[in-house]
Amino acid sequence: MHNATHENKSMADNVVLKIDDLSIAFGGLKAVDALTFDIKEKEIFGLIGPNGAGKTTAFNCITQFYKPDRGIVQFRTNKGEVENLVGKKPHEIIRKGLVRTFQNVELIRELSVIDNVLVGSHIEFHASVLSQIFKLPKARKEEAKFRQQAEEVLRYMGLYDIKDQLVAGQPYGVLKKIELARTLMCEPKLIILDEPAAGLNDSETLALTAIIREIRDKYNCAILLVEHDMRFVTDLCDRICAISFGKLLAVGTPQEIQANEQVQTAYLGKGDE
Amino acid sequence: MNKQENKQAVKVKSNSPYKQYLLFGLLLLLIPALVKMGVIKYSFLTIIASILIYAIVALGVNLLVGYSGLVSLGTAGFMGMGTYLAAYFTSDLNLPFEISLVISVAVPMIIGVLTGLVSLRIEGYYLAIATLAISEILRKVFVEFDVVTNGFSGKDADYPKLLGTFELNRDSTFMLIVVILVAVMFITHNFINSYTGRALSTMRGSEAAAQAMGINIYRYRLLSFAVAVGYAALGGVLYIHFIKYTYPNAWTLLFSLNMLAVIIIGGVRSIPGTILGSFIVFGVPDLILKNLPVIGEIDGLAYVFNGVLIIIVILLYPAGLIQFWHNLKMKIAKGRKGKEGNNA
Ligand SMILES: Nc1ncnc2c1ncn2[C@@H]1O[C@H](COP(=O)(O)OP(=O)(O)O)[C@@H](O)[C@H]1O
Ligand SMILES: [Mg+2]
Repeated sequence: MHNATHENKSMADNVVLKIDDLSIAFGGLKAVDALTFDIKEKEIFGLIGPNGAGKTTAFNCITQFYKPDRGIVQFRTNKGEVENLVGKKPHEIIRKGLVRTFQNVELIRELSVIDNVLVGSHIEFHASVLSQIFKLPKARKEEAKFRQQAEEVLRYMGLYDIKDQLVAGQPYGVLKKIELARTLMCEPKLIILDEPAAGLNDSETLALTAIIREIRDKYNCAILLVEHDMRFVTDLCDRICAISFGKLLAVGTPQEIQANEQVQTAYLGKGDE
Repeated sequence: MNKQENKQAVKVKSNSPYKQYLLFGLLLLLIPALVKMGVIKYSFLTIIASILIYAIVALGVNLLVGYSGLVSLGTAGFMGMGTYLAAYFTSDLNLPFEISLVISVAVPMIIGVLTGLVSLRIEGYYLAIATLAISEILRKVFVEFDVVTNGFSGKDADYPKLLGTFELNRDSTFMLIVVILVAVMFITHNFINSYTGRALSTMRGSEAAAQAMGINIYRYRLLSFAVAVGYAALGGVLYIHFIKYTYPNAWTLLFSLNMLAVIIIGGVRSIPGTILGSFIVFGVPDLILKNLPVIGEIDGLAYVFNGVLIIIVILLYPAGLIQFWHNLKMKIAKGRKGKEGNNA
């Protein structure tokens, strides 16, 4: 349908991620169906939709955890080049400057809080295995440098006091924060957050709104997030994309989305989802 | 008060264990002298040396199982290969000990990597099957390839000759084993606390997180398996130069399973736990149980002992028996704090 060079030209300068015709089906179920939208640099972009609408699946298609059946995922990498992510391996994505969290918090229970955050800078480490096992200056310097960076991130997120505790046994809200902290270690261009406010109380959610804005400004990156809490999304996002049954309903500012009839119908009777 | 407590807790965690490892090594170095003085039985030196060699091998197994979430059933084959290669290079080819050591560790590692290349690509548990097969093939080779291996009669080697000049004897070879064990403990500690170690723990804990953070699971699985094979082969080399004899039936599946028993009983993800496990699995039956009246006569006593112990540990101490020690340390620390509190 499109060829690569054509696509490269079609992505505007201020766009960081552009998905086009993204589709994936599980058996007969079209979990994501011809989804198309783009995210601009430094934008906070919300993806909303009822439970099972395909939001997480869309994230998995963007980050290549799932191979989409159709469509392209164009991304402006941290080197300034535009690349189609489709076909890349999941572990290659973060090197392009795209980092994510998971709906069901994926942290390592046996590691301390700071070690979990340090995993976020895995791609920044370069010391050889020999240098690591003999603690040669190169490995030591590297470790010290990123440990300090991790401490700064933890302080910033209000987690510094628990940095040496194990992750196992921390409350859910803290886990969500640690996972967010981990994304800040790799100089991301785009951070994808799957339900970052789930399990947080009202004041924590409010604080998270501020933190996410700050992160955008401090790290000069765009943020794509899924969230059920409508108030959280409308407060925070520059633009919102609403989907239902894998299909796009509307893209626009929070006001436009709230006023959209189709969106209202999709949410009708679904309570405060 | 609270702040101080926090600081103490942090300190306990980040304290490096090098001093403890060194102390442990120094104590072990006294054993040959104690044997000379008649405090420890002559035959115990051999048993303890074996325990230390097995501890090195088990450290590799712990790296694999505890940190990378992989299981190998081929430890015996790779260790056995280390014994045969070292025997062949030093006894038959008269190569210097150091060169033989390097090749005898490198060749099994290469075979390990090849095994891993084939089996680790899809799912981690294929490694268990592939290593089981490789280990059995290797044992067949030990039997059939008798030009090199002497078949069922087995193969001999001497105590090592260091740098072509220093001929070691039983005591000094024991000391060499101690030095190498302590070095391996240091290296293993550094390894699991490096970014590579964190990557291993991450892929064991969550493959999704590992991939999202840029960790190439396939590559790190291969790396950790290669290291585990390297430890096994190193153990094999030390074994042949201390026990001075190797034969095919020493390297069966049972041995590989015993290695898993070591880390389960001693403590998964724990260096001291691994050493403790080796002492329990390979030491208690030979050093203690066999010398007991009546019980000592039972056939297959070691199997029964290890079997029962594994069940008890899994039920009561899932973190391994090293947990005893940690609990004890905590109690002592608490006791101290309590006293300080009273004084203040
Ligand atoms: N790996 C999978 N295999 C089969 N079905 C899946 C898979 N992942 C998601 N789905 C289905 O796709 C639909 C969308 O799920 P999901 O993306 O998790 O929704 P949500 O919008 O709540 O994040 C659901 O019907 C779900 O059951
Ligand atoms: Mg979801």
